[in-house]
Amino acid sequence: MRQILKLLTGIILLLPAVLFAGEDLQFPVEEFTLDNGITFLVVERHTAPVFSGYICVGAGSACERIGDIGTAHLLEHMMFKGSQEVGTTDYEAEKELMIKEDSVWAKIDEAMQRTRYIRLNEPDKLEGHLQYIADLEAILDSLSAAGSKYVVQNEFDQIYSRNGAAQFNATTGYDFTYYYVSLPANRLELWFNMEAGRLLKPAFREFFTERDVVSEERRQSVENSPDAKLFEQLIGTAFIAHPYQIFWEWQSEENNLTRDDLQRFFDSYYIPQNISVAIVGDITLDEVKEMAEKYFGRMPRGNEPEPIYTVEPVQPGERRVTLEFDANPAVSIAYHKTSFDDPEEPVFSIIERLLGEGRTSRLYKSLVLDQQLCLDVSAYTFPGNNLGDLHNNVFCIDAYPKEGVSIDRVEKAVYEELGRLASEPVEENELTKIKNNIDADFIWGAYSNMGLAKNLARAHRLAHNWRFLSTARDKLLAVTADDIMTTAAKYFTKENRTVAILVPKEKGGEQ
Amino acid sequence: MKKMILISFYMILAALTALAINPRDMSFSPIDFDAPEPERWVTDNGMTIFFLEDHQLPVVTATMLIRGGQVYDPAGKSGLAEITAALLRSGGAGDRTPDQVDAALDFVGANISSNASKDALTVDMSTLKKDLDTVFGIFTDMLIRPMFDSAKTALEISNRKDRILRQNDDPESITRRVYYETVYQGHPYGLYPTLASMGNISRNDIFSFHKKFYSPGNCILAVAGDMTIDELNSLVGKYFSGWKQSGEKIEPVANAEIKYRPGVYYACKDINQAHIRFGHLGMDMKNPDRFAMEIMNYCLGSGGFMSRLTKQVRTSSGLAYSVGSYNYLRPLGGTYFSYCLTRADAMAQATTMMMDIIREVKKNGITAEEMEIARDAVINSSVFEYDTPSKIVTAKARLEYLGFPLDQMEKNIENYKAVTLEECNRAAQKYLDIDNVAIIITGNKELFDKPLETFGPVTEVSMEIK
Repeated sequence: MRQILKLLTGIILLLPAVLFAGEDLQFPVEEFTLDNGITFLVVERHTAPVFSGYICVGAGSACERIGDIGTAHLLEHMMFKGSQEVGTTDYEAEKELMIKEDSVWAKIDEAMQRTRYIRLNEPDKLEGHLQYIADLEAILDSLSAAGSKYVVQNEFDQIYSRNGAAQFNATTGYDFTYYYVSLPANRLELWFNMEAGRLLKPAFREFFTERDVVSEERRQSVENSPDAKLFEQLIGTAFIAHPYQIFWEWQSEENNLTRDDLQRFFDSYYIPQNISVAIVGDITLDEVKEMAEKYFGRMPRGNEPEPIYTVEPVQPGERRVTLEFDANPAVSIAYHKTSFDDPEEPVFSIIERLLGEGRTSRLYKSLVLDQQLCLDVSAYTFPGNNLGDLHNNVFCIDAYPKEGVSIDRVEKAVYEELGRLASEPVEENELTKIKNNIDADFIWGAYSNMGLAKNLARAHRLAHNWRFLSTARDKLLAVTADDIMTTAAKYFTKENRTVAILVPKEKGGEQ
Repeated sequence: MKKMILISFYMILAALTALAINPRDMSFSPIDFDAPEPERWVTDNGMTIFFLEDHQLPVVTATMLIRGGQVYDPAGKSGLAEITAALLRSGGAGDRTPDQVDAALDFVGANISSNASKDALTVDMSTLKKDLDTVFGIFTDMLIRPMFDSAKTALEISNRKDRILRQNDDPESITRRVYYETVYQGHPYGLYPTLASMGNISRNDIFSFHKKFYSPGNCILAVAGDMTIDELNSLVGKYFSGWKQSGEKIEPVANAEIKYRPGVYYACKDINQAHIRFGHLGMDMKNPDRFAMEIMNYCLGSGGFMSRLTKQVRTSSGLAYSVGSYNYLRPLGGTYFSYCLTRADAMAQATTMMMDIIREVKKNGITAEEMEIARDAVINSSVFEYDTPSKIVTAKARLEYLGFPLDQMEKNIENYKAVTLEECNRAAQKYLDIDNVAIIITGNKELFDKPLETFGPVTEVSMEIK
C-alpha cells in the first residue's frame, strides 16, 4: 500500500499552465513527471473523439559511435516488432533461438574478418573458408525460420490498425527519435499498454531480415535520389568532426549491426528521464495520470547517457565537393551556425524566413522571379528540428538552375543576396511580414492534435521545458534589423561555407 | 519483516495488474460520433457552398472545387489546365499585379494554392480570421479576374519546359509516368505535357480555358472556420455576386479502354535498384464491388504491415522497404497496380514473389480472420475522415463534385460492414487480372537476377525527352 501511495504522491504536478498563441488563443497544458523521470504533457481537446500520442526519446543518430552507425534507425524499426507480449506466441522459446542466431552471426562476422588474411596467406583454404561462411549463413537462415514459428507477424501494427489507428509511424532524427499515432479516444488505454510494452520490454525479433529492409530504405531514399545523394555529400563535407556529418547510415556498418548493439543503445538512451510524451485530444488529465502511473511507473530509471562532447571546429576555409549523377545540375550550399539555445538562433530563424519563405522571400524573388536563373530555390536548416537542434548545425540553400544557366551564375546570385543581408538593414515592412508569419505558424501549429502534441513533446525534450515553445517565439519577435546584419556578416562568409554541386554523369572514362 | 512482505505483496499485485492484459485481448466499443453536419446552399449564380462554423482557432480555410481538369486539355496542348491553374496564383489578379498578390498574401502569412489534377481544378485558401476579408478578396479575384500577366505566363511555360527536361532525374517519377502512359494509352489519363505541347500553348488558350471552366455553375466552395454563416454570406455577396456563368458546355470525356499490350516495359536508368510497378485497368469509382475489393486489397497489399505483400516481401524476405498494391478508383476508369522497390539483383525474385502472392489470393482468396481485421481497421479509422472541420466540408464538397449522395461517407461505412468473405474473394477472382499486366521496370538490366523476358515480351521505353 505504501508503495502505491508513494508512487502516487511522487507525481510532481505542476500547475496547469497556458500556452498562448496570438492574442486570443489559449491551450491549457497540463504537465506531470513520474518518479522515474518520464514527463507527460496533456492537452484536453474535445472537438472530435480522437487523440494523438507523441513520444519523443532523447536518442538520435548523432548519439551513435563510429562502427555502430545506423543503430538508432534500425532500433526504431525493431520497435515495430512488438514486445515480449505482442508479436509472439512464446517469447521464451523465441528468445532462446535469438541467442543462438546471435552466436552464429558472431561466428560469421569473425570468419568474414579473417577472409582477407586467408586469401592473402592461405589461398588454398579460401574455398573451404567461404563454404564455412555459407554453411553458417544457412544455419542462421534455418534458425530464423525456426523462430518464425513463434512470431505473430506484424502484430503490433495489426492491433493498432484494427483499432482504427491513423498517422501511425516513427521517425529517427539526429538528436531524437519520435513514435506517434492517432487513435479513437476510447483507445487511450490500448495506447498506454502498447507503448509501455515496447518501451519496457522490447523484442528484437526478425532482426536479420529487418537489417536488409533498412538497407533497401537507404538505396531508395539516398542512393537513387539525386537530391539526397547531393545532400549527403554536402553534409559529409561541411562537418569533419561532429556526428551531424552522417546524413544517413552507411551500408557497410548497417550490414554488421547486431542485436547487442541495439540493446546497448536502447539501455543507454531509452530511459524514462530521457523521454517526453505529449497526448492531445478527447481524453482527460485524470485518466492519463492514472494510466501513466499504471503503465510507465514501473519503468526503471537509468543512468544519464553520456553527452556528446564533440563540437564542430571552426571551418578555416571554403569546402567544395561534386557529385556525378545521372541527373540535371543542382547546387547545395551550407554555412555552419548555432544550436537551439544560442542567442543568435532566433536571428537565424528570421533569416531563414527572409531568404526562403514564400514567393516574396529574397532568394525566390531574386533568383526565380526577377533574374529567372533558377527553377526553384530553398533555404532551410539541417538537421532542422522545427524548434532548433541540440548542437551547432548548418544553414543550407538548394538551387536548381534553369536550362543553360551555369552553377557559377547561380552561386554568385545567392552570395549577392546573402551579402545584401549583411550590408543593408531589412526594412520595417519586411520584418513585420516575417513576424506576422511567425504568429500565423504558431496558431496553425495547434490546428491538429498531432501538430500540437509534436511541438509540446519536442520543446520539452529539447529545452527540458515545454514553455520553450512560447519563449522561443518571444525571442523571434524581438529580433531587430541590426541583429540580422550582424549575424549575416558573421556567418555568411566564404570560409564558413561548403558547396556541393551535382554534375551530370558522363558515360565513359577520363576525357 | 511482516511489513516488508506486505509491501512486496502489493508491489507484485501492482505489477500483475499492469501486466495482466495483453493488448491483443483488449476490446473496445465502436466510437459513437455524429460529425457536425455542414450547411449547404446554392447561390443565385449557381455556386454550391458548404460551410461549417468552428471557433476553436482564429483561422478560416476554404477550398474551391471546379469542374474541369487536365483531361480537358485540348489535343496537342497537354499542360494547359496546369498552366492556367498555376497562373491564377502567380499571374496577378483583379487590380493587383503578380508581385502585389504575393506581397499581400505573404505579409499576413496566408496561403492560396491553385492546382489542376486530371479530374478536378482546385483553389485552396487558408488565413487567420483577422485577414479574412483581404485574403478572400484575392481568392475570388484569382477565380474571377485573373490577369495572366504575359511575362509571368512566359516564365511559367519556360519553367515547365525546364521541369520536363528534368523528368528522368528521379527513378520513382519515371516509373510512375511510364506506368500511366502505358496502361492509359490513348486516354487523357495517360498523357503528360511535352516540350512540344508546352510550345503550342498561347496566352489566348489560357484565357479561353479559364473562361470555359472557372464559372460559378462549375464551382463548389467548402469553407470552415472562425466565422458565422452571416459573415460568409456577406463575403460571398460582396465578392462573388457579379460572377456570371460562362454558359459553355463541357463535353464529357470517354472512359479509359484497354489498349496496351501485356508485357514488360523497361525504362533504362543507371541505379542499383529495380523500381517495379505492374497492373492493369481497374474499376471506376461507382462500381458497387469496390467495398469488397477494398477490403480484399487491404489484406493483399494496401493494408500496410498486415498485408500479404508487406509481410512476405518486406518482413519475411527483407527484399523491400516499399511494397504494396493500390486499387486506384478514378472517375473515368481506375487502375489496379502493385509496386516494389528492391535491389537490382532481386528484381525477378521480388516480381515473381509478388505475382505468386496475387495469384494465390485470386485462386484461394483471403481468410475470414484477415477480412475481419481489415474491416475493423477501415471502419474504426473512418473517424479520422471527420476529425477537423476543414476535412468535413472538403469531403462533402468532393462527394457533390463526384456525383455521390451527400451521406455517402456514412453509407460507405455501412457497406464496409456488410462486406462478406465471399464477396471479397469473388472480387479477387474478378478484378485481379494478373495474367494481363503491364510491367514497368526501371533500372539497369545488366544488374538484374534474371532477364526481363522472364515476364513476357519486352518493350524498351524511349527515355528521349520530347
